[in-house]
Amino acid sequence: MSIGAGPQSQGSRRLSRLVNIGIPYVWLGVFFLLPFVIVLQISVAEPALAQPPYTALWEWIDDGLLQIQINLRNFMLIGEDDIYLAAFLNSLWVALVCTLLCLLLGYPMAYAIATAPERWRVLLLMLIVLPFWTSFLIRVYAWIGILNSGGLLNTFLLWLGVIDQPMQILHTQTAVYIGILYSYLPFMILPLYANLTRLDPTLLEAAEDLGCRPMRAFVEITLPLSKPGIIAGSMLVFIPVVGEFVIPDLLGGPDSLMVGKLLWTEFFSNQDWPLASALAILLLGLLVVPFVLMQRMQQTMDETQP
Amino acid sequence: MAVSNERRLLEPWQDPKAPPYLRIDRVTKTFGDLYAVDDVSLNIFKGEFFSLLGSSGCGKSTLLRLLAGFEYPTSGRIYIDGVDVTDVPPYARPVNMMFQSYALFPHMTVEQNVEFGLKQDRVAKKERQERVGEMLDLLKIMELRKRRPDQLSGGQRQRVALARSLARHPKLLLLDEPLGALDKRLRESTQFELVNLQERLGITFVTVTHDQEEAMTMSTRIAVMDAGQIMQVDTPTAIYEFPNCRLTAEFIGSVNLFEGKVMEREGDQVLIEARHGGILRMRSLHPHPLGTPVTVAIRPEKMRLSDGPAEDGVNRLSGVVEDIAYLGDVSIYRIRANGGQLVEMTLTNIQPRTEQALTWEQDVSVEWSPTSGVVLTE
Amino acid sequence: MKRRAWPLLGVLAFGYAFLYVPILLLIFYSFNESRLVTVWSGFSVKWYGELLHNRQLLDAAWLSIRIAATNATVAVVLGTLAANALVRHGRFRGRTGLELLLTAPLVMPDVIIGLSLLLLFVALRELIGWPDGRGFTTITIAHITFSMAYVAVVVRSRLGQMDASLEEAAMDLGARPLGVYRQITLPLIAPALLSGWLLAFTLSLDDLVIASFVSGPGATTLPMVVYSSVRMGVSPQINALATLIVAVVTLAVVIAGISLGRKPGR
Repeated sequence: MSIGAGPQSQGSRRLSRLVNIGIPYVWLGVFFLLPFVIVLQISVAEPALAQPPYTALWEWIDDGLLQIQINLRNFMLIGEDDIYLAAFLNSLWVALVCTLLCLLLGYPMAYAIATAPERWRVLLLMLIVLPFWTSFLIRVYAWIGILNSGGLLNTFLLWLGVIDQPMQILHTQTAVYIGILYSYLPFMILPLYANLTRLDPTLLEAAEDLGCRPMRAFVEITLPLSKPGIIAGSMLVFIPVVGEFVIPDLLGGPDSLMVGKLLWTEFFSNQDWPLASALAILLLGLLVVPFVLMQRMQQTMDETQP
Repeated sequence: MAVSNERRLLEPWQDPKAPPYLRIDRVTKTFGDLYAVDDVSLNIFKGEFFSLLGSSGCGKSTLLRLLAGFEYPTSGRIYIDGVDVTDVPPYARPVNMMFQSYALFPHMTVEQNVEFGLKQDRVAKKERQERVGEMLDLLKIMELRKRRPDQLSGGQRQRVALARSLARHPKLLLLDEPLGALDKRLRESTQFELVNLQERLGITFVTVTHDQEEAMTMSTRIAVMDAGQIMQVDTPTAIYEFPNCRLTAEFIGSVNLFEGKVMEREGDQVLIEARHGGILRMRSLHPHPLGTPVTVAIRPEKMRLSDGPAEDGVNRLSGVVEDIAYLGDVSIYRIRANGGQLVEMTLTNIQPRTEQALTWEQDVSVEWSPTSGVVLTE
Repeated sequence: MKRRAWPLLGVLAFGYAFLYVPILLLIFYSFNESRLVTVWSGFSVKWYGELLHNRQLLDAAWLSIRIAATNATVAVVLGTLAANALVRHGRFRGRTGLELLLTAPLVMPDVIIGLSLLLLFVALRELIGWPDGRGFTTITIAHITFSMAYVAVVVRSRLGQMDASLEEAAMDLGARPLGVYRQITLPLIAPALLSGWLLAFTLSLDDLVIASFVSGPGATTLPMVVYSSVRMGVSPQINALATLIVAVVTLAVVIAGISLGRKPGR
């Protein structure tokens, strides 16, 4: 059977194509794609005491000759100073750990919601989404009060007698893990839930009918079939976390240096736009592979959709 | 052959001078490499209840969508009432369609659904209400008019869909599996209702179905389709009694097929030597040259079954009862002929089953007369 | 549920506690007399009073709301167009490109989007003299760019679930393409448009990083004010603000839930 709109009059069809495809394309082209070209261009410029604070990439010198200057200083700088490499590695590490944490907590939650009685599901899902509608910044801020050395967690633990003097949690990497897990958990749960509810429950019944115990049926049937959901959720967490700024800035300390924060500092504190651009380019390059992976998974999910 | 005037009126396709109401002229529709509709020509006459019959993927739905205007033919033309509508968009065609899913607008009441088409035509409000009322009365759904589609049963939805597509008084009503979503009991009663409605309104109906029984009961004529082509167009009786190819014979009802070669012609009958042994004598007006491979098709209810073994002879096979399927009104017997061929036949259960003599493993013989079947060349 | 579900329920309960305890604590301490988080020194609404007299914060909130509303409205239009393109126009040339452009903003780190857009605005100004100065316009454009991707996701899934024969039926009954869209498609995707609008509104109201990059002197959004105050440590005024936001969101969700629940059918 053929899919898609039949023949309206050809003219109106062409107009509809032009509007529906053309307008979003132009907008995203100008305000999303084009900026990357400029970032690339400025990442090979030199900082200057000027407005804007970088040298021009090309210059018309007399006789209409075009002079192009490409300056790899920024990339060399990044290569030479260990702090950048450390920040990149730590960003990847934090993203990896947090993705696993989100998966560890998010999978059972998504599974529990997906297998809950139908009338509960909407409410349970709503409760996952609800925090997302309140301010992200304020939710991160809430943890400052909890993780402080004089904060609620320490007071509580002291009161319990688990510890005899306050622990330093705020401004450590642990605080960053907690903050990211807290903020990104819904992004893991939602695609997993979408995937798990689509799973045909008779498959599990068939497996049990064929002699599979429930746990084993889960491992052999549910888990492999939820792979697209796992990958989609993981990428939704992993990719933005690599470039996260707010959480490491507010909860992290000197041991939790991340690229996003470094880029922010280079840009706002050091006013080194070209270096910040070079960092952005490298970060972008790093994220291409997981992004392509996610895109693929998205497409297979769309295609297998009933 | 002399055709009486009355007959000509009832069967306009018999009259070479009758103008077709819907003319499909060498229409082809391809999707990539696939020929969904392959060089189809068809004339449908005013007031007909015409069915396109075939298994899924045979192109019948695409043909219907071409008539509605949702698809454009790759080549060929379509005329309705003498007007070329090939390039007319769906909203401007004098044609309406009842969708298989009914496609009732979920955000509108029954009344609003039926009114929708009239609103598009900018019919004045007063007339609109009258016509909606007429339609709701006609289909006996007046009391449902304030409900929304999700508050209706399957049968009620079907009526609303029908009312909606009839409200614009189309020249042609297209029905895509009109009874497909109903359960069996409802389907049978609705069949008759649909035919009555069509006769009362005089609107030409073209329906698509995969259900041969449905097509047989409702249609004036049936077109059997396969792989984008029309295999046979004829009245239900003719299609059942005189199929013109194996495919049609097998698609409609069950049939026993005997392959063989033409040996001799005697007047309007031919003698055929069957591949599995035995000689068949069948009536055929075709000028079959001697030696042509042919297939003889005989319906299971047109054979006679006799108890006890018999000699194989002309139009007679002996064998053993292999299987009996009791269906209540009839029983189906599968008989393994001595030549190895499986013959199926049906017998009306005139007597209670317990009193019937025939049982498994019993020796029997099967007979038929030269006019009980047809000789097919394909 | 069967017996084996108990550990699962435990994880579920822990997860919800993890999500909600911090918010509840925030609300609780917004009524605390004392500045200190850990010490409860009596019920008070004085922080709300201070909040309502904080001129800087109120101005920023008003700016943020204007940006969020403009952004949401434009993003719904653009996102719906994009969804139409992907659902209705089959395999057009450049489809993969559009899909990429619509997925990337969903995961792209904020710092990259912010930096790149700022550089674009600076370059554009050099070239064509626009945008002259940064603030409301530049922030709104930046927010539309990523919000429309979210709207497209929501609207696309709704459009995809719609029975295509509904639109064909409307056309069959005499409606022209634009009429079909207005009378059939729009009413049926209206819930998605509304949730897309709210989503875009929230995303915009929530954004600190991108706005910080593309805003200029004089244009301070609410998250920017919150951020600078939070960096100084715990501030009860922010607790009060959080409580107000949670109250508004909960109210909106309850109203939405009731009005949707009343509607017959799905």
